[in-house]
Amino acid sequence: MTTVMHTIPKPRRERPKVQAILFTAGGRLFAVAADAVHEIRSADSLAGSAVEISQSPVQKVKHFVHRGARVYFVVNSCVHFGLRPTRPRLVLILRGCPAAVLVDKIERMENIPAPSPLPFAFRGLEREWYLGLAQIDDQLIPVVDPAGFLSNAELTELNATLRRAEAGANQELQGART
Amino acid sequence: MSATTAIAKDSFVVLQLGGRRFALAAEIVSELAPPVRLNEFPHQTPVVSGVIVRRGRMIPVYDVAPALIGKRSPASRFYLVATRRFHSNAELSAIPVDGECELVNAELLPTPDDSPKYVAGMLAVGDGRIEVLDFEKLVTAEPQPIASAAKHPGTEARS
Repeated sequence: MTTVMHTIPKPRRERPKVQAILFTAGGRLFAVAADAVHEIRSADSLAGSAVEISQSPVQKVKHFVHRGARVYFVVNSCVHFGLRPTRPRLVLILRGCPAAVLVDKIERMENIPAPSPLPFAFRGLEREWYLGLAQIDDQLIPVVDPAGFLSNAELTELNATLRRAEAGANQELQGART
Repeated sequence: MSATTAIAKDSFVVLQLGGRRFALAAEIVSELAPPVRLNEFPHQTPVVSGVIVRRGRMIPVYDVAPALIGKRSPASRFYLVATRRFHSNAELSAIPVDGECELVNAELLPTPDDSPKYVAGMLAVGDGRIEVLDFEKLVTAEPQPIASAAKHPGTEARS
């Protein structure tokens, strides 16, 4: 049977376009608005300046880096999205939030349609991860929300951990001087 | 009650999944969509397997096969598109089916006591009985592991 009970109306307007970076993590394709990314570096080039966070309270964050006066927490995107771990080659240093995101590779930059909201059916953490879905050719790509890589609670915990570590280091330094 | 209302109330779309037959109230069914690309991406919502695009609209797909037949959905699947309500909003939603569907008019019979919660009633069609699915309860049911779901798959009892 191919009975059509009701007709599904076509959406009328074409969505505005946004410049986006298409990247892969855990073998999956994602998009992020280009203006949300401050810098793209190779993961290897960052390795020398990354500082390990001992006993990190956030599983997906094991290191932080200083860029100028700012601290960026290095987020493993595979852990963030619950994907099989891969060896990240690049890091996206985000603008407007203190996250540097490890990804597999950049696929391309492209003007993509502004994302459509996630369907109501989705009710998990993905509502924080994604701004929505963008249709590129015949494929739907999740457009990540840069602010979704680290929640306020995670940032509070990470900052508290850094402050404790800094206080501990200062105490140790003072002890060594006296 | 008008004749139109009476027909709508007793109209059901009989679908096939894994060789079994189930029914949905025709009033919530929009169409049977051909096999199209299932877009999958990381998420944490149980039962939802991805999103299809149909006539420019994004339609979430619920993999109800494990709950209904104790198996994963067939690879080359059609999609039965139905409307799901979220408070004041309605959203088109899809479930994978084998592709064979028919519209039937039949009286809704009471649900047997031991039926799963997603069964809204039974239909007597031909010499068989078909479970009528409560779409909302079906798509929000706790996901069943494939092995255990197979122990109580949907029944299409012969009378």
